[in-house]
Amino acid sequence: MTHTHTSKCRLGTSVLLAALALPQVVQAQSDEALLQRIDALEQRLIELETTTVLSDPETSVKRIEVFIDANGIEHDTQVPGSQRVVTYQRQRVFRRQTINEKIEEALADAESRNVQLGVDAAIVMQNVQQNRGQTQGADGSTYQLASTDLYFTAGLAQYTMFFADIVGLSGTPQGDGTDGELAQTNGYGARLTQQNDLSLREAWLMTQLWDQQLSLTIGRVDLTNYFDNNAAANDETSQFLSDSLVNNPALGLAENGAGMALVYDPKGAFSARLGYQQSTDAATNLSDSLYQLVEIVYRANPLRMGEGNYRLWYRQDNTIGGGLSAHGLSFDQKLSAGITAFTRYGNNEVEGNSENDIHYSAGVQFANGLGFNPEDAWGIGYSGSDLADKSNERLVEGYYNLRIAEKLQLSFHLAYLTEKAAAAEAVSYLVPGTRLQASF
Amino acid sequence: MTKLKKLLLACPLLVLVMAAPAVATPMSDPGDKEIKITDPSKVVVIVNRDSNDIAFLDVETNKIIGSVFLGRNVNPHMAMMSRDGRWVVTGGTRANKAYIIDVATLTLVKEIPVDFAPEHLAFSPDGRYYYQGNPDGDSVSVIDMASLTEIKRIRGFAEPLNITFTPDGTKAYVGNYGAHWVGVIDVTRHELLKKIHVGTVPGIAALDPERYLGEIKGISNVSIGNDGRYLYAADGDLGIVGVIDSREDKVVKTIRVGADPWRAYMSHGGRYAVVANNGDETVSFIDTEKNEVVATLESGPDMMGINFAAHKAFVISSSSGFLYVYDMETLKPAGRIKIGTNLQIETATTDTAEQKLYLASSTDNSVYVIDAASEEVTRVPNVGLYPWGTHILSSKDNYCH
Repeated sequence: MTHTHTSKCRLGTSVLLAALALPQVVQAQSDEALLQRIDALEQRLIELETTTVLSDPETSVKRIEVFIDANGIEHDTQVPGSQRVVTYQRQRVFRRQTINEKIEEALADAESRNVQLGVDAAIVMQNVQQNRGQTQGADGSTYQLASTDLYFTAGLAQYTMFFADIVGLSGTPQGDGTDGELAQTNGYGARLTQQNDLSLREAWLMTQLWDQQLSLTIGRVDLTNYFDNNAAANDETSQFLSDSLVNNPALGLAENGAGMALVYDPKGAFSARLGYQQSTDAATNLSDSLYQLVEIVYRANPLRMGEGNYRLWYRQDNTIGGGLSAHGLSFDQKLSAGITAFTRYGNNEVEGNSENDIHYSAGVQFANGLGFNPEDAWGIGYSGSDLADKSNERLVEGYYNLRIAEKLQLSFHLAYLTEKAAAAEAVSYLVPGTRLQASF
Repeated sequence: MTKLKKLLLACPLLVLVMAAPAVATPMSDPGDKEIKITDPSKVVVIVNRDSNDIAFLDVETNKIIGSVFLGRNVNPHMAMMSRDGRWVVTGGTRANKAYIIDVATLTLVKEIPVDFAPEHLAFSPDGRYYYQGNPDGDSVSVIDMASLTEIKRIRGFAEPLNITFTPDGTKAYVGNYGAHWVGVIDVTRHELLKKIHVGTVPGIAALDPERYLGEIKGISNVSIGNDGRYLYAADGDLGIVGVIDSREDKVVKTIRVGADPWRAYMSHGGRYAVVANNGDETVSFIDTEKNEVVATLESGPDMMGINFAAHKAFVISSSSGFLYVYDMETLKPAGRIKIGTNLQIETATTDTAEQKLYLASSTDNSVYVIDAASEEVTRVPNVGLYPWGTHILSSKDNYCH
């Protein structure tokens, strides 16, 4: 009994002590939780101060599909008798963004709504040294051309844009025997129609149809931008300077004009292009000077050595007489990651002559780290023209394009040109030159 | 009311207010929960950035089984399932926390504070550790999956984006987008072991401060070949892919690709590393036997990922809403698949049978299921807000942006 009593007494004491201690334990736990919470809040404050986030709910507008029943009631899911309708609705989400992200987003949005302006400027200087044939006026002369293109682009609607190119050209192109009627050692010279005047080179609307497989461009166009786009020899701003290594002379398109270009490209092995344009500003209506061009492009990867583009084109120009046609090929093929070989062939009818002009070219481009700087490129090309009047021209050009900065490049060119008119002595020229090109 | 009374009244209120978020945190013991997923290999994990949840899609019915809400303003970035299918982990970019989800019961079991802006992550091959990259904190958090705690925070990185473990789990390679080096972590000690210099900025860069000092586009990912011997690290600013020999941890070859390469994606057979070059909108195919570019093909803008299935490569062009398709046999373009207009498509995962792609489309809150052979597209709408990425257990195409 005594033992039992003692036990009870001990038990009672323990319960009493525990009861007395409980508030202290609870208090301690509460204090600890509070301290932990304060630590967490301090950490959160540090994070907020560091990242400066906006915690407002993000608001955006979504394109949604809803279902409208016969009574005009909108449902999220289809109900009997309802019709699917596309509408737009505001949506709020809890997305936390930093102020930097917000500012970047706003700037990008504003930029996308504005008209974009681009500038492409070039200064080309060349010297001519005659080393064969009867001395011509160009011997020892130095020529300089300056060209500036101002581009304007603006998005007008879904997959629809406007583009305009205003060009100003001035300088002293070779025209007294270096090129004659055959070719020009400066592709910019081919574009010089008026000195010191701004001219509208292109102005067109482009839209894309059928899941963007078909691109339709209409306005004042330069069809050479859409056809014969050789990867290694098509750009006087970064590749060869000589016109015969920029465009196929057999294309025979000297001026831009009103027209249209259709490009069908399902992004597979084949694509096709079709275009027409007014080929002379002197024409009184489009049908009097209709230049039409069609091209098929095949993309290949023979022996897995790299991609290649194989183009076959045909053109018809009714500006002269009953119309003159031409056809040609334009191939470029990667031989390795940095080496691209190219070749061109063109055959065009000539007014009043049963024989045709024949033009051909070939060459190789080295890029992709095969220069002094990673983005430099260099190349060597050869072109020849055997004309219906029995005159001919041969040209070899080498260039090195030094990429100084993303927007600035300097290239060095050396061309050797031989011209031989029918029943005349051949003349040859060595033409060193430089080109400073800025694009921004 | 006296000051003392006010204080006495205010203190409990303050405690209550402070404690409220902790009470609201939806963490619970999964032991007493209903089993919702019995086969984790049959679900697609969807990261919904703006609804702040992880959704689970049944691959057989294309229906959402359920989702796990992480909390407001968490904004999860990438999710990955542990190899045993037990856990899904994700980094909450704006909450600075890692989240552990029990897959079977779809229960959030743990929130683990990590460093700033956790984004990409990886599990060690044995599943013991989960490495969480914290790009804004320049650190990698090491989460022990046994204790579900951060056991170490490895510092010294420069915007660490993606983490790649070697198959034997001894090392992990970290792509630093804010630098031109790859970090090598010793996984046994969880320490940054080496910095592998991938490429040198050309001297002429001094003339172009706008490009080289304005913003850095370094290495987003280190992609590993099937045998684990070589790794491929694309450097955006330098336009190169550095081939790293994992035995020596050094670059054994530098391959020049297109402009601003985002990262290399390894074809499932391991023959090709396909690089998305966002600067010139091309893709470069690197033959991994020769370590040479064997094709550079036109693609679309803003490429976010590349998946492989049915002997094709599917390149996700985010802002155009197209998948560009390439024949992996001939290395030629094979058309493109239009997903939709005015869509921002994100990343995709490929099922383990390599027949279907599950593509997240953020702007219409959908996942698109693409049959790789027929190229038929099925839309699964309303998967959550702003689905940002998808994941399938054991898929060979589990990646993030």
